[in-house]
Amino acid sequence: MSMLSHINNLKDTQCIVDTLRGLVSDNECARCGKCVFGYEGVTQLQLILGDIAEKKGKSTDLTQMQELCQMMKSQSLCETGEEIGAAVLAAIDAYRGDFEDHIGKKGCRAGVCRKFMTYHILAENCTGCGDCMDACEEDAVLGKAKFVHIIDQKECTQCGACLEACEEDAVVQAGTVKPKCPKRPIPCKRR
Amino acid sequence: MKITIDGKAIEAKEGQNILDAALAGGVFIPHLCSHPDLEAKGGCRLCSVEIAGEAGAVPACKTEVRDGMEITVNGPESSKVRKMAMELILATHPADCTGCPKYGKCELQSMYQYLGVSAEGWRKKSRSVANDDSNPLISHLFTRCVRCGRCIRACQELRGVKVLDYIKTPAGIRAGIPEGKSLEDAGCRFCGACIEVCPTGSIMDQVKIMKEERSYAENIVPCRSTCPAHIDIPRYIRYIKEGEFDKAAAVVREKVPFPETLGSICTHACEGECKRGELNEPVSICRLKRAAGANDSGAWKQHVRKDAATGKKAAVIGAGPAGLTAAYYLAKKGHEVTVFEKNEKAGGQCRYGIPAYRLPDELLDREINTMLEAGFTLKTGVSADSPRELFDQGYDAVLVSIGTHQGTRLPIEGNDLPGVYVNAEFLKQARTGTPLPVGEKVIVLGGGNVAYDCARTALRLGAKEVHMACLEQEEQMTAAPEEIEEGRQEGIILHAAHAFLRILGTDKAEGVEIQKIARFYFDENRKAMTELVEGSNQVIAADQVIFAVGQKPEGTDKMELALTHGPYIQTDQQLQTSMEGVFAAGDVVTGTKSVIEAIAAGRKAAQQMDLYLGGDGDISEHLLEEEEPSPYLGQIQGFAGLKRVEPEVAEPSERAKDFTLVEQSMTCEQAKCEAGRCLQCDLRLMLHRPKLWNEY
Repeated sequence: MSMLSHINNLKDTQCIVDTLRGLVSDNECARCGKCVFGYEGVTQLQLILGDIAEKKGKSTDLTQMQELCQMMKSQSLCETGEEIGAAVLAAIDAYRGDFEDHIGKKGCRAGVCRKFMTYHILAENCTGCGDCMDACEEDAVLGKAKFVHIIDQKECTQCGACLEACEEDAVVQAGTVKPKCPKRPIPCKRR
Repeated sequence: MKITIDGKAIEAKEGQNILDAALAGGVFIPHLCSHPDLEAKGGCRLCSVEIAGEAGAVPACKTEVRDGMEITVNGPESSKVRKMAMELILATHPADCTGCPKYGKCELQSMYQYLGVSAEGWRKKSRSVANDDSNPLISHLFTRCVRCGRCIRACQELRGVKVLDYIKTPAGIRAGIPEGKSLEDAGCRFCGACIEVCPTGSIMDQVKIMKEERSYAENIVPCRSTCPAHIDIPRYIRYIKEGEFDKAAAVVREKVPFPETLGSICTHACEGECKRGELNEPVSICRLKRAAGANDSGAWKQHVRKDAATGKKAAVIGAGPAGLTAAYYLAKKGHEVTVFEKNEKAGGQCRYGIPAYRLPDELLDREINTMLEAGFTLKTGVSADSPRELFDQGYDAVLVSIGTHQGTRLPIEGNDLPGVYVNAEFLKQARTGTPLPVGEKVIVLGGGNVAYDCARTALRLGAKEVHMACLEQEEQMTAAPEEIEEGRQEGIILHAAHAFLRILGTDKAEGVEIQKIARFYFDENRKAMTELVEGSNQVIAADQVIFAVGQKPEGTDKMELALTHGPYIQTDQQLQTSMEGVFAAGDVVTGTKSVIEAIAAGRKAAQQMDLYLGGDGDISEHLLEEEEPSPYLGQIQGFAGLKRVEPEVAEPSERAKDFTLVEQSMTCEQAKCEAGRCLQCDLRLMLHRPKLWNEY
């Protein structure tokens, strides 16, 4: 499948930033090195898309990628570089909102980019066992025995250790839509 | 055809690309991946230009000129492309220019300074690679690689060696050696073309071979710069490789008139500097010179200089290598030259110092006779002791080149006993067929090449047991290592690091008392200092004792010339002595040195005397057609490990019986094979250095 058809057939479960980063990295240009716009262009795209996916995007990134890709389209040594340039430009046109959500730190609509995922503890499943508290190295889980635990989003680094530690399926991941959770530890309903 | 660049009309050639046409026409267009000697690829886009009537920017290096083409270098489109290309390159190139050995000589640095751009605004990434200094000649610092591909094209296409290529590493794509091989294992020819074309500090000469006191070219071809006469060594070796011995001999003869003599006895400082020596063993430069001389048919003679007669007369006192060389070139410059030699034959130390088993009379006669064809008069058996008298006889200039023919007798007890000889006289008598008597046991005092000449001569005169004693440790001895080895093979017993205390005997020499030295050094006044090991005294019994501790000039005190350090003639930089019109050259000025240094001094004397006599001082000759060597080297597996070819050497037990030649000249096949080991360091100097923007 060409890069463009990948982009045009993006599924709801796929994130354009993440997909594009994969496509750019897994390209002949990244393995060649014979022209500046092909190789250094791909290197910049990898770095910029990587930053966007990791919540480090900058407001100027979209314009910079567009300018770079215009050059890649006309100044690469072979069609591969031209194709990448065209594909990234098309992706920005088609999914500008998704890019802006990432850059504006709003979130990853598809729930793919880990840095945009938040972790939450569902009150109805929590038994107040404390396993998640023990697993968290950041001390981001609040609460005490028999009380529903709460994740302090300011302290959380999205490492996912609590999710693995919980045997009650009380810890969940969320993308743009967040579950309702208590603000402070409350006594557990489940025992 | 005509094209215009930024409004300037330029003459371009059919098939030329815009970049080449512009640079040739004196218009600078920035560029990086292009190189004058390599095929353009168009990868860097720094040479982007705009063409009237066409949209967008195109790379000048990949766009062929058309008649009437109107080109703009810094149009809005081309400038934008160029600027972004340079920014992208810099974004992954280390920013610490001042810490880079290429600082100030770097094309990339020059180019981004010209463009005034930086990587500001782009994501930075370091593609760090560990520096590789495992090779003694070439240093790899690929963190700095910008993937311009110039080294790869030079190695693959220009040289055909095919060692360097684009390689994929965890840190990214860069130039390198595939399969993680070393340069040696990959078949590198160590020509240095990659270093020469690298625009950054990614591939560099190893720091230790680039000596500060030498120029760049001198460092690149150290054999040639080290040779006192600056013989074009790589050039003649290349001809030998191709089996062109006539041409090889002509190359040697452009600088020295004694190819075969030098090939037999030269001290070959060149080999000590040969870069091949860093890989395994140096190229056998000296022996190859002998092979060239031995296979010379004299084709060079049709090219020799013979200037019109000047009517000036020059006298040369002493027909050693310095005097003969000076006479040879002065005669070519049209002067009437007479050489006065007090000995029966010409040759100086070559004739009366160096033993016949190293340099036979026939060879020397042959080369001197060839020199006489230049048309100077050689008067042997005639003493000329006074420059002033020569002026009275009508000579306009005089060269004193009488060498150092008086041996030194150290002031130790018993030094005047019968049976105590000095080097110069001992060797001369042996050479002229009236050897001094030699008994069963002989000891030579001294550790230089001349001491070995004495010791090995004594063996050949019938001595059964020959000792040598010298102050220096074996590693510090001035004798050549091969001389020490050959002496050892012949059975010479060496007592290195021993002081000679006294010569024993009452009415004739009976032995020498020697004592081990703990430390030997020269103090700040150049005075030899020794610290002895107590109780290590021993007596070496000997029928004869030979001093071989240096030689000095004879008769200089009667020449009315200013002297220095005792009997040596004082000259200025131009070899002019204290008396107007009198020059001096060779050992009589410098103290005992080498034949090649005497020849070099003889050439310099000829230049200076020619100037003095009203000439232009130019003694250069072109004894063969100039030919551009092929830049192509091709692949040779195991090139780095190719062993030095040694000529045939007579068995020690056989050769020590008489004065027959110890070492044969290499066969043509051996010589061609050995010449093939040369790295051809000079080839890279023939590559064109890209001109930087400030040179336009």
